[in-house]
Amino acid sequence: MSGGATRRDALRVMGASIALSALAGCDEPDEFGHPLHGRGRGVASEDAVFATTLELDGLGRGVLVRTRGGHPIKVEGNPRHPASLGASDVFLESAPLSLHAPERSRQALQHGRPAAPGASRDAFNGLRGEGLRIVTGPLSSPTLRRLVAEALAANPGSTWHVHDPMADPASQAAALAAFGEAVEVLPDLRAARTMLCLGADPLGHGPAQLALARAWQAGRPRLLVAEASPSLTGARADRRLALHPAEFEPLARAIATELGVAGLVAGAAHPAAASLAASLREAGSEALILTGRGQSAAVHAIAHAINAHLGSRALRFVPAPAAGGAEMAPLEEAMRANEVSRLLLLDVNPAHDRAGFAAAMGRVVHSVHIAERVDETGRVASWHLPLNHPLESWGDSRAFDGTPSIRQPVARSPGGEVMGAVEALLALLGWEGTGRDAVRETWRGAWGEGDFESKWEEALEAGVAGESVPAASLALRADWDLPGRPIPPGLAAHFAPDPHLRAGAFAHEAWLQELPRPLTRLSWGNAALVAPETAARLGLAPGDEVELSLGGESLRAPVLPLAGQAVDCVTLPLGFGRRAGGPVGEGRGFHAAALRPADGAWVVPDLTLRPTGRRVALIARESQPGLEPDAAKVIGPGERLPPFAPTPSLHQPWSYPGAAWAMAIDLDACIGCNACAIACQAENNVPVVGPEDMARGRGLHWLRVEKHDRPEDRSVFQPVPCMHCEKAPCEPVCPVNATLHDHEGLNAMVYPRCIGTRTCSNNCPYKVRRFNFEDHRRRVDTPARNPDVALRPRGVMEKCTYCTHRIQAARAEGRLDTVETACARACPTRAILFGDLNEPQSDVARARQDPRSYLMLEQLGTRPRTSYLARVEEGGA
Amino acid sequence: MSTDTPPPSTARVAEAALRPLGWGGWLGFALAGTGVVVLAIAVARLLWVGIGVWGNNIPHVWGFDLIAYAWWIGVANAASLFAAVLVLRRHGLRTAVNRFAEAAALAAVLAAALYPILHLGRPWLFYWTLPYPSTWGLWPQFGSTLVWDFWGISAHVLVTSMFWYVGLIPDLATLRDRAARRGRIGLARAYGLPALGWRGSVAHWHRHQAAYRMVAALVLPLLLSAQTVVALEFAVTVVADWHQARLPLHFIATGLPSGLGIVLALAVALRHGLSLREFVDRGDMDLLARLLAAAGIAALLAWMHEAGTALLQEDGTTRDAFLVRLAGPAWWIAVVMSGLLPQLFWWQKLRRDLIFVPIGLLAAAGVWLDRWSLVVDGVSRPRVPFPVTAYAPSGDEWALLLGSASFFAFALLCFGRFLPAVSMFETRHEESEQELEEEER
Repeated sequence: MSGGATRRDALRVMGASIALSALAGCDEPDEFGHPLHGRGRGVASEDAVFATTLELDGLGRGVLVRTRGGHPIKVEGNPRHPASLGASDVFLESAPLSLHAPERSRQALQHGRPAAPGASRDAFNGLRGEGLRIVTGPLSSPTLRRLVAEALAANPGSTWHVHDPMADPASQAAALAAFGEAVEVLPDLRAARTMLCLGADPLGHGPAQLALARAWQAGRPRLLVAEASPSLTGARADRRLALHPAEFEPLARAIATELGVAGLVAGAAHPAAASLAASLREAGSEALILTGRGQSAAVHAIAHAINAHLGSRALRFVPAPAAGGAEMAPLEEAMRANEVSRLLLLDVNPAHDRAGFAAAMGRVVHSVHIAERVDETGRVASWHLPLNHPLESWGDSRAFDGTPSIRQPVARSPGGEVMGAVEALLALLGWEGTGRDAVRETWRGAWGEGDFESKWEEALEAGVAGESVPAASLALRADWDLPGRPIPPGLAAHFAPDPHLRAGAFAHEAWLQELPRPLTRLSWGNAALVAPETAARLGLAPGDEVELSLGGESLRAPVLPLAGQAVDCVTLPLGFGRRAGGPVGEGRGFHAAALRPADGAWVVPDLTLRPTGRRVALIARESQPGLEPDAAKVIGPGERLPPFAPTPSLHQPWSYPGAAWAMAIDLDACIGCNACAIACQAENNVPVVGPEDMARGRGLHWLRVEKHDRPEDRSVFQPVPCMHCEKAPCEPVCPVNATLHDHEGLNAMVYPRCIGTRTCSNNCPYKVRRFNFEDHRRRVDTPARNPDVALRPRGVMEKCTYCTHRIQAARAEGRLDTVETACARACPTRAILFGDLNEPQSDVARARQDPRSYLMLEQLGTRPRTSYLARVEEGGA
Repeated sequence: MSTDTPPPSTARVAEAALRPLGWGGWLGFALAGTGVVVLAIAVARLLWVGIGVWGNNIPHVWGFDLIAYAWWIGVANAASLFAAVLVLRRHGLRTAVNRFAEAAALAAVLAAALYPILHLGRPWLFYWTLPYPSTWGLWPQFGSTLVWDFWGISAHVLVTSMFWYVGLIPDLATLRDRAARRGRIGLARAYGLPALGWRGSVAHWHRHQAAYRMVAALVLPLLLSAQTVVALEFAVTVVADWHQARLPLHFIATGLPSGLGIVLALAVALRHGLSLREFVDRGDMDLLARLLAAAGIAALLAWMHEAGTALLQEDGTTRDAFLVRLAGPAWWIAVVMSGLLPQLFWWQKLRRDLIFVPIGLLAAAGVWLDRWSLVVDGVSRPRVPFPVTAYAPSGDEWALLLGSASFFAFALLCFGRFLPAVSMFETRHEESEQELEEEER
């Protein structure tokens, strides 16, 4: 498929513009966003779509938010936004859940007690004055940056600190050393032919994942990955090396030596260097080295030098959109020295992320914490003020490539003391006006007065407010090398963001807590990841508790031996061990951040590990191999699979005169990001069952993503929805006709008819049917539920419906050719195709003709409508 | 019947039902009654909270429920098969053992019949499996084995209770007469109503014999069909280990030791508990024990057939699925307890009451484990990769199992207390035949 917007995307946005022009002039609250298209504002059946922006790590991703009756129910990617391209990830998909979370704070607290209405004015009054310290997360928002600058100017001697637990200081230091500027590398995976990742995880979760994954799928560079702990990129690598953190610098230096890079201060040798260097040299200017978190500044700098030496055309440099702000360490010191009396913490939680922060912050007389929840920091602060969810307030943002976008509210604010981040800074400045005014002010400054209104309308409509920033042209400095103190061998702690919770910012999202992590398969908790060799040496089994000691601090954690983990490297996933912030996140897993040094290092040597002899019950949803070997097929390049040959059947044949819905899932494109699984959960009101029932094997996810092990500890990921078999084994065994075949080939489930014999689940060879062992309706029946999908009572079966309600809606609107399931819509690499098999030109019909196409368990004669495209690997099956 | 004992009097049999309860009887009633209360609580919790109180999951959607169902059917079948064969063959043993064998069958069928309803996700809608003219115009799916199962279990309940009841009519009349003679009119009426005005005329006897034989003949095919239907619930699925045509035969053959084991243990309880040693004598016990040993051989053959077909056949999937079952202990323990252990009864020295009880009960438990091996271990490895969590039965499931066993015991105790445990009319019939023989001599 060619890159950029498809005809489908164009149609969607065109329709949106027409609807919007029809709506212009409607009387609506000033502080409310502009829907792309919608009907019946303010009534219960209201159904609208807004283009807006959500942030991850301070960087924006454009989204389209569908609301019903004023409530956001589904977030999807905005095809026109470069950081989304129409796709979404687990964080975007779970935004409606956090918006409707009951534990969100609604009122101002002073020392933990509810403050009188209007008293928040006192909180801001106390902040104004000399020596104000403002702590924010990484800010790319032009408006927030402008207002922070204004606040600094208004209060002499004040400082802006940025707290970013996801920041990589070594990478910033290396960019400064190599180019003299704080720039970021934007890889162009379309232009790359060979890519070497040294601890980098471009396909893993992050603010640029959707764009990078789409580009990777389009360009399909050869992936060489060296990493300390398995990642999604490593899982998809053509060649993968598990390296101890100490080995990266010697490897990088050895590759640079092999390639003859100038300016190298010290050489080194590494057994893998020659072949990797040869691959890079062979690709020439189409080669690319990417470095990631956990690498020393030297490794980052060497990568810059090698990319420059090869003249790589597969990358460009952009100024970091969220750069700026002072570090946190000086603030901590100042607080300990009682030098801070005014502290504003805006939507950050350093008390969880930084070990000594809470104690130091306790010394500040007047600290104001503004956040959506009373988290660890909110408990220490003298004031806690409630913050709007991003979908409730005005703002703006920049994407990873600098593309700006406006964030417009799509839901009403709960009101009262709840304010947006922009409003909070306005209140600090003592300025009049609304958040919308402030954002407009920023962009009026950027665009000028002339055609501001039309540009503003256009930006709200498109969800994009301009172009990406132009690439900087930079020359490598001669003294780029940073031969620092190398990481010593031996047991090392390797901190890593949790794939679903990041550093803890998403710990309150039950969907993300419950969904098994792509590689560890852990649900509702984390574990210290060790190599199987390390575990065997120490006699550790999964769930055995160990005491980890690092730099005088120690904590207890269960271990999980993980294939592909580097020997003597212990990966500690962040994001768990929350002590505040709501019942979903509190008390889950262990608090890895407590061991992390104040400089935010990702790798720390000299870890000691001592088994305590106790055990912790881990919820690891690790699949065992099936009885049949070929669930996920892997073939060599150019290899063809035999075409589908239907086996004879005694069951009556069906005819499908109209549509014949089908799905094709490309295992070669799937990166295992789990976006489809969360999209399905959000779309279909799939309940969260909780840790106890997950441990019992009663998870309700309609779509599971299986992980199949490959050589070199790589993985093939396989999304498994219902197969919608034409000869469905579940249908004839149901005594009461609760599961039936429909005229378009859907295997339909009639919930009110089901009496719960569970025979259909026994007879489903794909194990895609889920049973309501308990009544989950009360917990799902919130305004975040999708009103188009029925809630299921206790005692009935449920399963993937191919989003039948979407098909119905599309039929009602006369656009059956554009119908997409929620999972297909979310997928960043378009690995999931959905459509009509009777339409020869549909993607799914063409996928069926692909020589890689196969049906799971074809030999059973179930004739599934869900087909797969085999994974292609060098060397083949 | 041995001839060295004095001719037994039927009065003793009726006496057992009419005399005051001893402390042992009270204890038995108390224990079984407590178990029935536990059953009631377990059922109430199940209906109130749902299947979630059990340990089931995906893929182990069935567990104790279907195991117990299949097992109780096996107990019922073996017991009524035994009773029916005795009636039809006019075997001497029938007078002694067939009545309580029938009673055991009925109690077991009732215990079994609990499960198909209780195991549903929404038990109150069980009647949707019946073909009744609903306003939706919707019929059950007649192709589903669960609909067949409904017919199977309801036919089983009907025929087994008919068999038991028809055999009981003359004795109910005897009890009515004795109670009336003692002036206990209320009790006499209670016995008289189900005695259907029996006066013991030749015409009554004639009709009774015809009816009794007919129902007994009905029982025989039913035994095959009931077990077959249960087996088909498994055999028609695509579960690799279950999808085998041999499964009905396997269920019938391996079901025998469980029922006979229970009947054997009950016979011992009857001999000692109700002092009916003359009616259930050594010869009867010997015969019963050897029958159990023979059933063990039949079951062993079924298991050999199972292992042979699974391990030797070409389809690697079925073989692997069976190997998963062999990896668990249940299958092996079943073979030992229900197949090998009863073989001890071929030695006369071991055919003693003290040994009958443990081996009979172990044989029954072994069959239960065979059903576990099939229902639980049989699905623990699906065809495709799946995060399988081992099935761990919850306290509620144990309560239901022990509760249904208590219900079984309670029903038998009531039977022993209020109704003649041994067929009086047949004992009297034998007595008169004996007298006739003596006269002829």
